[in-house]
Amino acid sequence: MVPLSWYLILAAALFSIGLYGLLARRNLVMLLMSLELLLNAVNINLIAFSRYLEEGQVVGRVFALFVYVIAAAETALGLAIMIAVWRTRQTVAVDEIDTLKG
Amino acid sequence: MTLGFGQIAFLVIAALTVAAALAMVLARHIFHAILLMIAVFVGVAALYVLLGVSFMAGMQLFIYVGGVSVLAVLAIMVTRGFMGDRPRPARSTHGAAVVAAGVFGGLTWLILQVPWPSEPLVPAPQNDLALLGQTLVSRAGYAVPFELASLLLFVVLLGALYIARER
Repeated sequence: MVPLSWYLILAAALFSIGLYGLLARRNLVMLLMSLELLLNAVNINLIAFSRYLEEGQVVGRVFALFVYVIAAAETALGLAIMIAVWRTRQTVAVDEIDTLKG
Repeated sequence: MTLGFGQIAFLVIAALTVAAALAMVLARHIFHAILLMIAVFVGVAALYVLLGVSFMAGMQLFIYVGGVSVLAVLAIMVTRGFMGDRPRPARSTHGAAVVAAGVFGGLTWLILQVPWPSEPLVPAPQNDLALLGQTLVSRAGYAVPFELASLLLFVVLLGALYIARER
């Protein structure tokens, strides 16, 4: 069988790649997609821990399901905000959306 | 050390998933990035199958491949004319790469410090969906968070409609 540490390292890799995307890209859609990568990495961890360490094998999956809900909500809201910003500013580059900058 | 079928399958899927994720954050065109994101999601679903939690793999396909990706494609189509993405100046991208590599190195070092088990605790559960469902909706389990999650989805979808409406 696959050792647990392999899953954890894979999740760490996905998390770091998502973090890079979050920091380096300036397109709002790319930021949201990078965020999804982060949440997927967390879910891999939750489910792997549940399989390898948890007696009942259920709680990890329940938490992962809640992460799905949050991810779907975050994507829907983020894309709605993106569309609204596009209508008013004609840009989705995050460093051009700086009206509130002091 | 000889690799079993599960280990070889894991390595292949993991390599493809990480490669797709890397290509995704580096992609020039946003549409290519979305296609690569779908590849990452499918790879993660395959990992769930490997872990023996087929239900989560199904959910991954339904919610991410079926839902989130379609939402992203639709959003791209609404904001037409924005398919490209000028990269930031090289300096800040290098900073992001350093931070991400540092996080990965630190996490990997921490993970390797701990003697993790190399076998799942129990064999893959068969047909324990009823248990999962009971845990989700029983008072002793997660009934309140479950209801709150549905409320959250309702509010968020109404809010998203309101934010994105034609003025």
